[in-house]
Amino acid sequence: MVETGLIDAVAQGLVTGSIIAAGALGLSLVYSIAEVPNFAHGDMLTVGAYLALALNNPSEIPFVPNAVALPFAVAAVGAVVVAGVFGGIYEKAVFARFRDKDADLITMVIVSLGLALFLQNLVLFLAGSANVTYDTVRRVNVNVDVYATGSGLGVELTQRAGADLATLDAWGYGWLAVVAVLAVAVAAGVAVYRWRSADTGYERVHFVSPRVLAVATTLAVAAGGAALTRGGTVATSNPAFSTRIGVSWKYGAILAVMLATMLCMNYVLKRTKTGRAMRATADDQSLARVRGVDIDRVQLVVWVLAAVLAAIAGVLLGWYASNLNPNMGFNLLLPVFAAVIVGGIDSPYGAALGGLLVGLSMDVGVYLLPAEFATYRTAIAFVILVAVLLVTPEGLWGDA
Amino acid sequence: MSERERAPLLELDSLDAGYGDLRILTDIDMAVGDGEYVAIVGPNGAGKSTAMKSVFGLTTHMGGSVSFRGEPIHGAESSDIIDYGITYVPQSGNIFTSLTVRENLEMGVFMAEEFPEETIREVFDYFPILEERQQQRAGTMSGGQRQMLAMGAALMSDPDLLLLDEPSAGLAPDLVDDLFDRIDDVNDDGTAILMVEQNAKEALRRCDRGYVLVNGENAYDGPGRELLDDEEVRQRFLGG
Amino acid sequence: MALADFLVSLLTVVSVYTLFGLGLNIKYGFTGLVDFGHVLYFMTGAYVTVVVTLPVAATSYEGIGGFALPQLLSGVPLGGLLAWFVAIFVAMVVAALLSLLVGVPTLRLREDYLAITALGIATILHTVVNDERWLFNGPFGVRDVHQPLAEAFPVSLGSFLVNLAVFGLVSVLVLAYIGYRVGDYVYGVDLRAAAMAAAAAVLVVAGLGAAALGGALVLGGVLVAVAGVVVLARGIGRADGFGRPLALFTALVFVAWHFGTPFFTAGPSGVLASAVWLFDPTAGADGGFTYGRFVLLVAVSFVAVAYWWCERTVNSPYGRVLRSIREDEDVPEALGKRTFRYKVQSMMFGSALAAAAGGLWATHIAFIDPTQFIADITFFAFTAVIIGGAANNRGVVVGTAVFWTLHTGTRFLNDYFPTEYATQLAALRVMLIGVLLMVILYYRSEGLLGEQTYDTGVAAEEGGRSE
Repeated sequence: MVETGLIDAVAQGLVTGSIIAAGALGLSLVYSIAEVPNFAHGDMLTVGAYLALALNNPSEIPFVPNAVALPFAVAAVGAVVVAGVFGGIYEKAVFARFRDKDADLITMVIVSLGLALFLQNLVLFLAGSANVTYDTVRRVNVNVDVYATGSGLGVELTQRAGADLATLDAWGYGWLAVVAVLAVAVAAGVAVYRWRSADTGYERVHFVSPRVLAVATTLAVAAGGAALTRGGTVATSNPAFSTRIGVSWKYGAILAVMLATMLCMNYVLKRTKTGRAMRATADDQSLARVRGVDIDRVQLVVWVLAAVLAAIAGVLLGWYASNLNPNMGFNLLLPVFAAVIVGGIDSPYGAALGGLLVGLSMDVGVYLLPAEFATYRTAIAFVILVAVLLVTPEGLWGDA
Repeated sequence: MSERERAPLLELDSLDAGYGDLRILTDIDMAVGDGEYVAIVGPNGAGKSTAMKSVFGLTTHMGGSVSFRGEPIHGAESSDIIDYGITYVPQSGNIFTSLTVRENLEMGVFMAEEFPEETIREVFDYFPILEERQQQRAGTMSGGQRQMLAMGAALMSDPDLLLLDEPSAGLAPDLVDDLFDRIDDVNDDGTAILMVEQNAKEALRRCDRGYVLVNGENAYDGPGRELLDDEEVRQRFLGG
Repeated sequence: MALADFLVSLLTVVSVYTLFGLGLNIKYGFTGLVDFGHVLYFMTGAYVTVVVTLPVAATSYEGIGGFALPQLLSGVPLGGLLAWFVAIFVAMVVAALLSLLVGVPTLRLREDYLAITALGIATILHTVVNDERWLFNGPFGVRDVHQPLAEAFPVSLGSFLVNLAVFGLVSVLVLAYIGYRVGDYVYGVDLRAAAMAAAAAVLVVAGLGAAALGGALVLGGVLVAVAGVVVLARGIGRADGFGRPLALFTALVFVAWHFGTPFFTAGPSGVLASAVWLFDPTAGADGGFTYGRFVLLVAVSFVAVAYWWCERTVNSPYGRVLRSIREDEDVPEALGKRTFRYKVQSMMFGSALAAAAGGLWATHIAFIDPTQFIADITFFAFTAVIIGGAANNRGVVVGTAVFWTLHTGTRFLNDYFPTEYATQLAALRVMLIGVLLMVILYYRSEGLLGEQTYDTGVAAEEGGRSE
């Protein structure tokens, strides 16, 4: 009997982590550039999610006109755009005013709290507290069953069809092939790393860090190798080890969106003038002003981006969980803060990595703990946060 | 043509300035001509940095005027002052440590429409290490290199007047000489320099004219060499 | 329920939350600790008090205890009451110790990290209490809350007339005293502003009254009430300080509500019932002093004692150290003060007060469950403290009263909308609270009363005296 195991939990964790990473990305921008520990960030997620709902499935929401019912993907894009506009409103109506008054950190925290109360209850007011879902295609999950036997690695794709489990496809790899592919993949990764970080005697900054590139290369080569060396079926009897990985096409989509978002953000921050202004402002706001940067404009961009990123995270969250409720964003606030603090406030990439780490530990943690502790999923994120803060009050990443 | 016949590029006229309610400068007169190299020296707390910051609009204006080519600039925003042709290198916090060398230089012309290829060549000529290390994270550079980067960034907009606030601060002595040589080079190519310096000897030796500020007021001024040789000035500020 | 009963209940809730707010003010207002998890100690106080006084084999309770202290002390005169006091004390100690545990790792952190960790700890412990049945009965909560001396109530002094005379007299005296204090305060107000405040009061009352008649008048009534608020704002703008017109307005609205409404619904006897609000004519054969009013009395005394205690602390050199920590921690550090110790003590003190509030709350409401202790409670307390003026004990009283009056006062609107909109209306209220918080922080961050002045001869740096 094949059952889901650790690897499945890891897969879930990566998806959860991607969503948290998207939220953390936005929060870290606001934290480092606008210098606001944004307690409303979770509720910005919720707003994004419900905006998509309003466009996609408005009959679920009492107080919203039943104007359009767009396909989910279109609604998602629309929601993200509208959320960006809201971000601009938050900045102009609220945060810019307090910045002009030179408000201190505590005041900003409480102001963001006020905004959080407002947003969360606005959603509650308009949408009620019932659990709702997006009107979107439902597909049955596919299971990837992996068997490690004496003769090699067997892979079966199965799917629930009625009461039975239908086998969609099956193939295998000889152990030799497995080892060879892994070796080549790792070698490729190392080579790429060496190539990109040519020893120059000083620290270069790259568009994509050599480490990330190396990991990506390894994964790509491994995947390519796996496709190339696909063999016939391997007998799956008496496996030494077997595991099932539940795979939903949602996972792929979410990971893809996450990667695309990261790449876009990376491009904006490193290759555009506005992005450079944003990083300069985060680095040294008075020097940026001296160099002619329009700080007000930078802050506006920051809040719009933060709202956009939060909306992306919110829509993904609602989609992944197949469920929306007004508390969804606030419940994720703690893991998102944990991700940002673990990853280092000043580094968006650190925050994203922190998000992945937090998501992984949440789902893997729940898998490892006895079943009664499932509700403590969020608590795990928090424990990590406290542990990190106790050891390094500045966060792990510092400056990336 | 003597200095006096050239119209002053920058003029501080009876300037009173400070921070908030605190007055630092009283009745300051100062001028920098086109292409001139002017130094401001004096004891700690004399208001030298404040005078420089007043030119760049970073202080509270309390009286008198600061004008550039005859235009009053004492209320202007930093971005406008850059447009006039004045750039400023603060004493500390003068580079973006998390950006690369190249990006720091790009920030120097942040407001420009196009990237000035010629100017960056000139900057690289003054400071070759910057060309070499374009992709290096600025925060990992040594002190001397950082100073050069800060100056390079300020030179990117091809200013008429460069304000330098204690450029030699914290540098090892052999690097100080090198740095001053390069400042000479920049000045030789036509950029006017207004420099605040703690190292009065070096500054007065190299500059065209100098001002000695004491307690927020003018004390002495004149050609650099003269001040250097002046008995009183030597006694009080140069250690004999 | 007679209006007087409603007033008693409201005042009890206000007292409980004032106590809660006084604790928060010690932490946040005076020491600058942003404890977003303050409700944790409120919850601790409630549960510990209840469990200590719960009978041993309470029905359908599967948590730890009850420790049946009242039964243990049943031989002692007033044993039930004594047990309750002991329980409250134990709750305060437990909360203080808990805050010590929480504080040690978190108080060294920067303010925003402290805020998020405090919130996190409170959230997690709330989840624990809610999910673990073996702890405090999980989501089912605890009923059969011990209410000390409940059997003795309602207290009657013999006959209806005597009750009416005695309790009625006390009620009228209390009202008269409050009226005198308010009148005294309002006396010097600018006449124009006073007129506008009075006009505003009339508009608001008339508007809300019309809205109460239902139908199409709801919208019209609300608009009139809003117009009244605008007039009030104008009147405040004209006066040289907004305290007096605002107080006059509040007093007039209160009079209209407390005496006017029963007049229209029940005639002169209604007005009388409101005047003698400490006397409940329907309690028992001859009417009397109900248990609810007793609880109110206890609550108010707690608040008085806590207020005195806080005032004493804040006005002492100890309080000055706390305030210097709030301003800039490096300064007292440089002077040799172990600021960490002071911060921990401040946490413990504030949490103990919150626990006492929790115990009172449990006694008032007679049934507790985890839904009463959500994070929003802390945020409401922050709002109340900021409205009244952080670092001002009197401000906490005023701010809490304003906050809860607005909060509860708008609940009557629920009656005029179909019940399925109840959640929506509640959400609207909290939305307004969020906006109020942002507005107050922007326009008057020092709150209604500003920071208080201190008796140590060192005046507050900002805010200063209220008018």
